[in-house]
Amino acid sequence: MKRLLAFALMTMTVAAACGGGAGTASPSPSAAATSAAPSKTAAPTAAAVKVGLVTDVGGLNDKSFNALANQGRLDAEKDLKVQTSVTESKKQEDYVPNLTNYAQQKYDLVIAVGFLMTNATWKVAKQFPDVKFAIIDGAPANDKGDTENLPNVANLFFKEQEAGYLVGVIAATMAKNKVGKATHNTVCSMGGIPIPPVDRYIAGYQDAVKTVSPTTTILNGYSNDFVDQAKGKEVGLNHISKNCDILFQVAGASGLGYIQAAKDKGVYAIGVDADQAYVAPGTVLTSALKRVNKAVYDTIKAVVNKTFKAGDNSFNATNDGVGYGTLDPAVPADAKAAADKALADIKSGKITPKDAVQVK
Amino acid sequence: MRQPSFDWTQGPAIPVVSVLFALVLGGLFVWISGHDPIQAYAALFRGAFGSPYDVSETLVIAVPLLLAGLSVAVAFRAGLFNIGAQGQLLVGAVAAGWVGALWPDLPGILLLPLTLAAGVLGGAAYGGIAGWLKAARGVNEVITTIMQNYTIVFVMHWLLQNGPMQAPNAFGTPASAPIGAGAILPIVLPDFLVPSSRLHAGIVLALLATLGFWFLLWRTSLGYELRAVGLGMRAAAQAGIDPRKRMVIVMAIAGGFAGLAGMIQVSGLFHRVYDGFSAGFGFDAIAVALLGKNTPVGVLLSALLFAAFSRGGTLMQSDAEISSHLVEIVEALVLFVIAAETVVRAVARRWGRPVKAAS
Amino acid sequence: MEVLIGAGVLAATIRLATPVALAALGGVVTERSGVVNIALEGCMLVGAFFGVFAADKTGSLPAALAVAILAGLALAAMHAVAAITFRADQIVSGMALNILALGLTSYLDYQLYSSTGTPPTIPLVPNVHLGFLEKVPVLGGAVGDQSAIVWVTLAIVVFLQLFLFRTVPGLRLRSVGEHPRAADTLGIDVRRTRYWAVLASGALAALGGVYLSLSVAGSFSDNMTNGKGFIGLAAMIFGRWTPLGALGAALVFGYGDALSVSLQGVEVAGFVFPVQLLSTIPYLLTILAVAGFVGRSRMPAADGQPYESEGH
Repeated sequence: MKRLLAFALMTMTVAAACGGGAGTASPSPSAAATSAAPSKTAAPTAAAVKVGLVTDVGGLNDKSFNALANQGRLDAEKDLKVQTSVTESKKQEDYVPNLTNYAQQKYDLVIAVGFLMTNATWKVAKQFPDVKFAIIDGAPANDKGDTENLPNVANLFFKEQEAGYLVGVIAATMAKNKVGKATHNTVCSMGGIPIPPVDRYIAGYQDAVKTVSPTTTILNGYSNDFVDQAKGKEVGLNHISKNCDILFQVAGASGLGYIQAAKDKGVYAIGVDADQAYVAPGTVLTSALKRVNKAVYDTIKAVVNKTFKAGDNSFNATNDGVGYGTLDPAVPADAKAAADKALADIKSGKITPKDAVQVK
Repeated sequence: MRQPSFDWTQGPAIPVVSVLFALVLGGLFVWISGHDPIQAYAALFRGAFGSPYDVSETLVIAVPLLLAGLSVAVAFRAGLFNIGAQGQLLVGAVAAGWVGALWPDLPGILLLPLTLAAGVLGGAAYGGIAGWLKAARGVNEVITTIMQNYTIVFVMHWLLQNGPMQAPNAFGTPASAPIGAGAILPIVLPDFLVPSSRLHAGIVLALLATLGFWFLLWRTSLGYELRAVGLGMRAAAQAGIDPRKRMVIVMAIAGGFAGLAGMIQVSGLFHRVYDGFSAGFGFDAIAVALLGKNTPVGVLLSALLFAAFSRGGTLMQSDAEISSHLVEIVEALVLFVIAAETVVRAVARRWGRPVKAAS
Repeated sequence: MEVLIGAGVLAATIRLATPVALAALGGVVTERSGVVNIALEGCMLVGAFFGVFAADKTGSLPAALAVAILAGLALAAMHAVAAITFRADQIVSGMALNILALGLTSYLDYQLYSSTGTPPTIPLVPNVHLGFLEKVPVLGGAVGDQSAIVWVTLAIVVFLQLFLFRTVPGLRLRSVGEHPRAADTLGIDVRRTRYWAVLASGALAALGGVYLSLSVAGSFSDNMTNGKGFIGLAAMIFGRWTPLGALGAALVFGYGDALSVSLQGVEVAGFVFPVQLLSTIPYLLTILAVAGFVGRSRMPAADGQPYESEGH
């Protein structure tokens, strides 16, 4: 036991020493407890815009929209010389205090990632009218659940159905022409759970397939989860056993399992949100992009330039808010041409992709 | 699975020293990862207790932890392991959210008790199923409660994702219709004292429940029987108590505590049911109960400790730029060292302090 | 019928049951020795992460599997020290280690692989193709193309069943879990036996975790075990603390899980069951199976009780 005591003492000494040793940048505990601003070695000028980002319960490593939102924050920090901070929410109860924390510290812009924060954003934004807020995938909702726009809240909406439509055109063209491993004229998709931001992707995808290639069979499924890769893979294997050879995932990390099923069985997959070409080259044809990073970056820039616009801000194909990602060499030129034509048609208003899922 | 122990009464010295030792260990980890532990802990403390608002938010988190902790504790006292506080909490929340929104125009004097009863009874029924399956069919409660935790999550998915409980104005958001004004638990801290506090009367209910827990276990014959069953089936049987008959009651009571937690989250905090809300309270509750040695005061204190970590941890990230996962690691180390409390006892003995060893 | 007992469903059953079975086997070994290890979930998670990590760093599959199992052993060793040497509360220690594993793996994954994920080129556990079964209906499709770890798991089940109930060391292990005082009197080192059992449980659970990452998913993502360690705990009890029983229980759960996928979109008399409710099948099926066929089970008598020998 003597050694244990010695270890304990040593531990305390080391900890105390490093607390003091790293001292130049660190305030004393009492100072830190009272001062609101985080201390940084290279503190920006006093006038720097301060931006706080609050993720939803998916966390920063969700390989999906929280990660992209954080990317936008980091890009802005680098380019725009703003001071930023991020907080991961661990549970729904955390949303209000996490948003409030930044607002109390007089941050200029507080960004709520995810439509589960609509009511929390409304509550906090009403209490802090001098602080600007932005919410991704939603609009402030009052206690009755009704949307109530506020003069200090920007609602960042995405037309996911347009991104879904673009990759749907590629999938349908390849399925119709039986290109490469896509030999069964069947395409499919898997959502995490049936909620609007997920279903809009799938709706656009199905709309494109029905338009471009009416004879193609469409399947759809859900993993009922955003975390479980094994479950996502099973849904994928199930779809492949039903002759599907292009698999579109809209299920966060669970969707990575769906892509892995395609890789294992030597068929094609389509990624979502971020450019997921890196996940499985040769398998991932392309990705339906939702540039949450751009939305976050643009909103921060608007605050810096004093052009912040409250209310609905749409991110769509026209303003490059959504699109399709890196194309695999397996994608033939005519499929790319068809997708580019669809993109032009969406921009010109000739095509308006559906936002309701047809094949459930 | 285990016998509850009864040695909380040895005074607070050992647990306090344990926490301090654990914090030092956690600080070492923070330091290794290239951060300043002092700054980290300052943020942790400020997040949990730095201002009246922060204290009120810590209490908001402590309320469901306390109740779910009591749920686990009452089962432990009777020798049962309730892993299902999470599921029971959710059932209570769904029941309360449903009843609260069913007659939104009822006056509070009627609607609040109805909502409360729905939450408690919902949780009690769900817990009671586990008790009944054990008594009637011999199904180990660990199996049932683990499976029940998952089942209610998917049932809530169904209810709230374009399902029968989803609010008509939700635009696809998995949320139920708001409960009537009468079902809402009032805020207990006036605005001039703590602006925009969310601390609701649920804290009063939670404290009353803690008192009820104590009264039930140590001042009623049922409580005596439950503890006797917990101490040993054979002994209880010799005293003329049929342990099987008590299983349903115990698990129903445990479910009732957890259901109350769910009802409070609905009536006090969200005023509706969200899909996937209150995640994790029921699991933390297991540690809360055991850390508190299944005693009322112990569970109360450890619920506060967990709540402080929960709130303070987010500030460690936002203000000290420490990954939330590092916060989890520190929290785990604290828990681990407290579990291995005998280490501290041994060290204390070496210091020559007269600390009585656990019996 | 195809969606209920087709080769596809049976193959999925085996795939989904394997990680649960490995966790349950770990549980059987440790609880038979009298130590509750609720940190199986955490052991799986570190196995899943460090397997991918080592596969990336070394490019060697054997090295990856070894590192994964070492990670499981390390976490289990912490539990053993706390539970056996310091007689800590075994459930609290286990919960703490689960949180530790979640925090540590998520932290490292984010630091190392957040932007691009693990490389798609890491070596994965190969499947065993049984060509001679190809012509056999149902069976061929069900077992003809399963991961090598599936077969290893099967071998472990057989080995453990024989070890625990047909060998002297197995008898010693069980006696330590049933009546440590008597075992001590007979000259069995209670602590050492329990240490080995807890370490073995960590290794088995880690194998289940690395199966998920290096056989099923081909990558790591936060909390990817998603509670399978706890399901394994339930399967252990369901299987009455025996290796064969644990396997059977895991298969029941896996079958329910497979059904929840295969029944998606299936129309019965014009009615399509909601996908969310399909996902409850494995959990309800498990409860029903235990209630209907297994019933009462008896845990090892000294399970979860720290042992303090007379000499100390």
